[in-house]
Amino acid sequence: MRIVMKFGGTSVASAERIKNVAERVKGSGRGHQVVVVCSAMGDVTDELLALCADASKGMEKPVEERLASVRETHLAALAAAVGDKEVRRKVQGMLNLTLSQLEKLARGSTVLGELTPRSRDAILSCGERLSNPIVMGALIEKGVDAVFLTGGEAGIMTDDRFGDATPLLEVTKFQVSEKLSPLLAEGKTPVVTGYIGATQSGDTTTLGRGGSDFTGTLIASAVDADEVWIWSDVDGLMTADPRLVPSARVLREISYEEAGEMAVFGAKALHPRTLEPVAEKGIPVRFRNTFKPDDPGTVVKRNPKLYSKSVVKGVALVKEVAVITVRGASMVGKPGSAARIFDVMGRSGINVLMISQSVSESNISLVVARSAMEKGANALELALLGDGGYRHILTEGDVSAVAVVGGAMRSTKGVAATAFGAISAKGINIKMIASGSSNQNLSLIVAEKDAKDTVRAIHSAFRLDRLNS
Amino acid sequence: MDRSGWLIDEHGIDLRKALKAKKETGRVSPRVHDAPSAAVIRDIEAEVLIEATPTDFKTGEPGFSHMKAAFESRKHVVTCNKGPLALAYYALHELARHNGVQLRFSGAVGGGTPVLDFGKTCSTGDRLIGIRGILNGTCNYILTRMEGEGVAFEAALAGAQKEGYAEADPSLDVDGFDTAVKLVITANHLKLSKAGIKDVKIRGIRGISSKEVTKARREGKAVRLIASASAESGLVVAPTIVEREHPLCISGANNAVEFDCEYSGPKVIIGKGAGGPETASSLLRDLLEVRAKIDGQPGSRPAWRAAGAVGGPAR
Ligand SMILES: NC(=O)c1ccc[n+]([C@@H]2O[C@H](COP(=O)([O-])OP(=O)(O)OC[C@H]3O[C@@H](n4cnc5c(N)ncnc54)[C@H](OP(=O)(O)O)[C@@H]3O)[C@@H](O)[C@H]2O)c1
Repeated sequence: MRIVMKFGGTSVASAERIKNVAERVKGSGRGHQVVVVCSAMGDVTDELLALCADASKGMEKPVEERLASVRETHLAALAAAVGDKEVRRKVQGMLNLTLSQLEKLARGSTVLGELTPRSRDAILSCGERLSNPIVMGALIEKGVDAVFLTGGEAGIMTDDRFGDATPLLEVTKFQVSEKLSPLLAEGKTPVVTGYIGATQSGDTTTLGRGGSDFTGTLIASAVDADEVWIWSDVDGLMTADPRLVPSARVLREISYEEAGEMAVFGAKALHPRTLEPVAEKGIPVRFRNTFKPDDPGTVVKRNPKLYSKSVVKGVALVKEVAVITVRGASMVGKPGSAARIFDVMGRSGINVLMISQSVSESNISLVVARSAMEKGANALELALLGDGGYRHILTEGDVSAVAVVGGAMRSTKGVAATAFGAISAKGINIKMIASGSSNQNLSLIVAEKDAKDTVRAIHSAFRLDRLNS
Repeated sequence: MDRSGWLIDEHGIDLRKALKAKKETGRVSPRVHDAPSAAVIRDIEAEVLIEATPTDFKTGEPGFSHMKAAFESRKHVVTCNKGPLALAYYALHELARHNGVQLRFSGAVGGGTPVLDFGKTCSTGDRLIGIRGILNGTCNYILTRMEGEGVAFEAALAGAQKEGYAEADPSLDVDGFDTAVKLVITANHLKLSKAGIKDVKIRGIRGISSKEVTKARREGKAVRLIASASAESGLVVAPTIVEREHPLCISGANNAVEFDCEYSGPKVIIGKGAGGPETASSLLRDLLEVRAKIDGQPGSRPAWRAAGAVGGPAR
């Protein structure tokens, strides 16, 4: 098989864990062609973010301290993870190069007291550019013929929206295939930085939150991998957040659509586009725990067979949301009202999570991130209130969204009834029922104080705690 | 530009002189340059790249890098190079779109015969069901000779080589690869399939015996190397027996392609499938199309700029 293995920040957080990663790749990857993709070590990305903030304010001393700490972290990890002198010297050379680039960038920006988005991405990319060579070293020491490449070198090309760049999918697929397929055929194991791409002119970009998973699935699609394994420190995707619902279960199998919904609603911080390249080709993605190599984890794939009797697969809580309601009698039957509202929100750069429109009351309600509530309401007031048709704009900030996720849910009768019954039995009032764009979820807005109970009530109403038995 | 260098002149190149130099010295430029060609393409101030380097079916190079450099520097691309198109059809289009420039390649299939444009027109407003055709003139020439003279494949091939219809290494033609590449470009261009070259079932004409050819002729039929694409049977290149009366059953170094549409039925385009002047004419046609589209676009560069005037607002 051809497998892309992606390891998250916690999996490479220390020398010990990096050795464990090498063990996993060597052990689980035996007899397979493997591409390894790693995130930055532990909280290095946070450290680099803080460094960026300090540099842009011209704060020399904290910048120097952070640089020293990043250097120290990686050199110490290298020393402990790679015993062989020859290999260590090779990796050391790579680290020194990146560290000196990082220092130049950081010091330059500190002197100017200013950081362009482009320099910021160059700085942020260093986390992955430092962790991956060490992993490569640990692999070589174990006898794996590993080679290091940055995302850009591997062929991942993006637009130039620094900080949240979008890959040019077709170009990326072509270039990555041209670059990596021959390496794999030669028996080499490419170790590629997650989270990083390059523009067509070669500038380093980053893919945004959860970008390393996306790197993994992009590469998988390019090299026609048989599977993607996303290793982290959790057992897989779960029916609910186990901190909220102790009886939550690991899902063994779910569809791309369901996993996508869970990602949107925060069950795991997946980059929203992570599954796109693999869903198109039907390449299964396995979420596994690095510390439990015998545990199968969760497989995301086409047409999962397991749980075919359970329509509902999970329930997620989205905290920190708010509802903005636009009221106005004359909106009824007036074409384009909703479009108008979306347009205003889009122009203000506000992402509308859900929408609910009640024709009889002539209201349109939008669910947005709570941090965007004021801005959204102001934008709508400015844009709409002069128009007559719209009378009031109301906001409600102390609410949460609870998303019930499952395949083809709305075509199955009784799901809503079961959910509503369970919630009202707890004496909880549903403020709003909203829908996402797919038929894979039903979202309810409740008062923030009722949110946890709502999640638990739904979890037990659909017997999710007994899913695997 | 050729392998050893390039000529750059803001006021236009004297083509007659350049061609003379090429003929006499084998080089367009008096000096040998060694900067990478992609960098030159990227850095030069020009509006369009005409890419006509040799087709490489395995890597698409150097064509792919040339086109990428052109797109990066916002140049339109006109090409007849099949390799990059067959291997990276969507990647090239994505790059063109990303940079807001045009990619045109009508010479890549059919040489000077506008096979792709004709197919596009046929399928606009209708649903294309399938494509069938003869896309390699060399193979057709060989089959026609086998038929007319009753000779074996090897003899017909040697004849074709002597007449300049086949290369010294004829394998890309006779083994069906060149046909497959053109089929992939056509099927993708007309949105009939997203298949790549690896997805084509290919059988060339090497195994054809003069017996088979003669038998077909006696029955009022003929053997032709037919490329076909449809939703049901996918992409196939294989020697096929066709009725002599069928419009696809052409003779000599020609191409013929049939586009079958759900409502308007089948239509066939026939013409010379290759040749220097022929293919050059399609490059010129594309170049004019690029110009026309720029002019037709609101907000594009005004005509006075193209006419060579200076000054005016920056782009
Ligand atoms: N001829 C046809 O009938 C026909 C029909 C359809 C499509 N095409 C396609 O058109 C393209 C050109 O065909 P052709 O018959 O004209 O081929 P050709 O006679 O071999 O000409 C190729 C030209 O490309 C130049 N070149 C090669 N590598 C280069 C590089 N790395 N950088 C810059 N220049 C380079 C060569 O330079 P030197 O002179 O220094 O070697 C030569 O001038 C091919 O892709 C072919 O498939 C041809």
